[in-house]
Amino acid sequence: MDELLADFIAETREMLEQSGTELVAWEADPSDKARIDTIFRFVHTVKGNCGFFDFPLLEKLSHAAEDALAECRAGRREADPALVTAVLAIIDRIGELADLIEAGEELVEDENDKALIAALEADAAIEVQSDVAPVEPVSDDQDDAAPTAAKRNTVQRSIRLPVDLLDEVMKGVSDMVLARNDLARRLREAGEQPTIDGPFERLSAILADVRTSITRMRMQRLEHLFSSLPRLVRDLSSELGKQVMVDFEGGEVELDREMIEMIRDPLTHIIRNAIDHGVETPAERLKNGKREIGLLRFAARQSGNQISLLVSDDGGGINTERLGQKAVAAGIYTQSEIDRMSDAQKHQLIFEPGLSTADEVSAVSGRGVGMDVVRANLERVGGSITVSSKPGEGTRFHLHLPLTLSIIATLTVSSGGQNYAIPRSYIEEIVFGSANTVEFAQAGARRLITFRGRRVPCLSLADVLGTEDNERCEWETKTLVLVRLASDDVFALAVDRVHDHEDVVVKPIAPAIMQTKLYAGTTLLDDGTPMMLIDLPSIAQMRGLVGEMRSKPALAEEQAQQKTKDAVPLMLFRGLDGRRRAVRLELVRRIDTVSCEAFDIDGKRAQAVIDGRILPLAGLEHGTLPEGRCRLLRLSDGDSELVYAVSEVLDAAEMTEELVVSAEDASIEGVTLVEGKPVPLIDGHTLFFRHSAPKRIEHPLKCRIPQDSDWARTILEPLVEAAGYRIADEDDEDADLAIEIAGNAAPHGPAKETIRLRPDPEDAGDGSIYRYDRESLLAELKRVRTGRAA
Amino acid sequence: MNDLLLMCTIAGRDAAIPALRVQTVLEIDAITPIPGTPDFICGLTPLRSQALTVVDCALALGFDQPCSSPERRAAVVEVDGHLYALMVDSAQDVSEARSDLVAIPGGLGEGWQRAGLGMVETETGPVVLVDIEKIIAGPPALAA
Repeated sequence: MDELLADFIAETREMLEQSGTELVAWEADPSDKARIDTIFRFVHTVKGNCGFFDFPLLEKLSHAAEDALAECRAGRREADPALVTAVLAIIDRIGELADLIEAGEELVEDENDKALIAALEADAAIEVQSDVAPVEPVSDDQDDAAPTAAKRNTVQRSIRLPVDLLDEVMKGVSDMVLARNDLARRLREAGEQPTIDGPFERLSAILADVRTSITRMRMQRLEHLFSSLPRLVRDLSSELGKQVMVDFEGGEVELDREMIEMIRDPLTHIIRNAIDHGVETPAERLKNGKREIGLLRFAARQSGNQISLLVSDDGGGINTERLGQKAVAAGIYTQSEIDRMSDAQKHQLIFEPGLSTADEVSAVSGRGVGMDVVRANLERVGGSITVSSKPGEGTRFHLHLPLTLSIIATLTVSSGGQNYAIPRSYIEEIVFGSANTVEFAQAGARRLITFRGRRVPCLSLADVLGTEDNERCEWETKTLVLVRLASDDVFALAVDRVHDHEDVVVKPIAPAIMQTKLYAGTTLLDDGTPMMLIDLPSIAQMRGLVGEMRSKPALAEEQAQQKTKDAVPLMLFRGLDGRRRAVRLELVRRIDTVSCEAFDIDGKRAQAVIDGRILPLAGLEHGTLPEGRCRLLRLSDGDSELVYAVSEVLDAAEMTEELVVSAEDASIEGVTLVEGKPVPLIDGHTLFFRHSAPKRIEHPLKCRIPQDSDWARTILEPLVEAAGYRIADEDDEDADLAIEIAGNAAPHGPAKETIRLRPDPEDAGDGSIYRYDRESLLAELKRVRTGRAA
Repeated sequence: MNDLLLMCTIAGRDAAIPALRVQTVLEIDAITPIPGTPDFICGLTPLRSQALTVVDCALALGFDQPCSSPERRAAVVEVDGHLYALMVDSAQDVSEARSDLVAIPGGLGEGWQRAGLGMVETETGPVVLVDIEKIIAGPPALAA
């Protein structure tokens, strides 16, 4: 509500400023009708707003002024200088009161206010009796106003700005980012220049900050949306003879203005459904042992660059049985399919087009256009919606929304030598056309692929865009992007190559390009070149893929998968020797492709640099690395990561057959059959034992070493650190261990244990260790560490 | 009438674009083609942080030959909030119109008739004043 109040004050002030000139003009010519109209509108608006906020004093003042002005407008009264002065005084007082409201002070009616109103009302009488009286309170009032006016400057902390101006500034900042990127590239080419690089880094950081602030300027609190809902709920519930209470949480969460407008309609629709279908009538509720007033809750919170909004009611829940019957009646599913569905799957039916659980079509909802449109609208802006429901307890809708409309997570792909962006939310999976799990088939003019037992239509992006004929398309060389649309229709899109994930700022495109129905927008890459954003739903629509191949087979598939859920998922690949091998899919974090420069191989030690990290490299025992680029599986045991070089990644599979354990070879868990062929399964335990880098110790023990010895600093220190210690400095009050070297001053400060080193190999008989006796020293360090850590 | 005109050459003829509508004249560096669009749309080119839709004026008027010039000059105009780069054979100076718009008896000839607002006299002789909206709509077959 505070936000509304701030709006009210800002609006009042704005009008005060505007009417300032009008007031002066009116004073010069009190009979000017146009001026009277303007001022009348001002006091009228203030009066209306006051009633809304419950400021009786403000309302009284503006009401009095309005009355007087209305008389003038109606011609029942002549505007004279006395009236002008009285109205001006009231308007001044309104300005003061607005300041008081903003400062959070109580509005107390004083004598002045009564006099102000009296000046207006008495006007007619004063005309005859005296022309001095009305002026008096005004001057008093202005004396009072002086201290308040001074306060105003400290109070006013917000201004109103046109959104256009914000957009312009935003654009300017985007330009700056592009210019920065350009400059960065040139600087990189010119080599390292410390005198320039430093300030440039700072500039970049500042720019990033400014960009964030500007983005925040476009944000609006969800309160703005929430504040309009109680009224809607009230109207709907009284119309439907129900009683509903609204509860909000997280109104302070901020969202892009445009996004707020985009979700207004879907949210309204969900509310309608909840009140119409969800919440029961008061009588019914009492019968079911609930409070007669239903509760509709809205809870919003921000997580990363997403907003999650939960809308829940405590009504009767979704009637899955009825929903199922409707779906069968509408011919969307067969009864046997419905029977096989879980409750959760049945709940999803409400997103099917043409379904409604309401038996009778009411004025409010139940016309069967509904949740499918809601879902489509939300997905259009990059959001998603899920539903869960418990019979008799209520229904929850969970909405996920991106923070802004204009930034979309995309995958960049290339086709015909050009890059395009595909919205990532549609992408289900990416497979290589060459993978032997993908089969191509042709039915009429339609290409189909069979993948994981699912037959889906396949489009070539080059064909869709008209750059290459399907006839000449070499399907096996393509990469297939499996696309799942909002309608659950799946198709494969063949592209030349998949490049990278990228968050892009989408800009609208000219109508002539929109007409192609192929593109949803355009974006500029960091180097300033434009890239088109592909409009997948529209392409699917044009190619007749929507609603044609319904997702029924997929549904059956899902069921089948649940049954064999115990099967261990594997990833099949070819090792460097070309043999097929498998690794447990859970170990695989991601697949990297790197050039051979990223490898550092020296004797037995092999490492690869990926994303600025050095990772141990395995898999070399099967052969040598190929020239040029190499594929790596990044494996993780949860703590440490390593990369495994392969010549080719084949596919995901499931281990359904028995695993035959081999005692001979410790590097494999055993051999299993995948599609009838034997495949050795790599033993993750052995792999990580052999290759994983020692884990960094979270809380290293502190060790003091002599500060005045060069040997200690240059030779001993790295050894101690590698053993999991941190070298204590003089500020550290206590240490776990101190190392003393005979002949050097002992380290400062206390320590729990001490190791003594001696410079001579000869045993001195004092329990000291020869300083180059690496094994004894390490054993001692380990003993102290494990003893402590335990 | 002393409207300012951007003098240019389209399909080998002198023509003029209302200069007040032209934001800038640029030499197009690189064009990102957009497959699937009609021929008169050459693609997109970046100008500062915005993507301009590049329109070939000659093709948009319905001529067979695209605009030909080594420097690829284009006039940047805004229509309905979208920015377009109108590519012409060459763009010269801005000059003043010496006369009102006049229709020519018998018309301007194919292509020109549809996208031309009429003829104006200038220092260098009569030129056709083109209608930016019509150019952006493309040749008749597509505009229909």
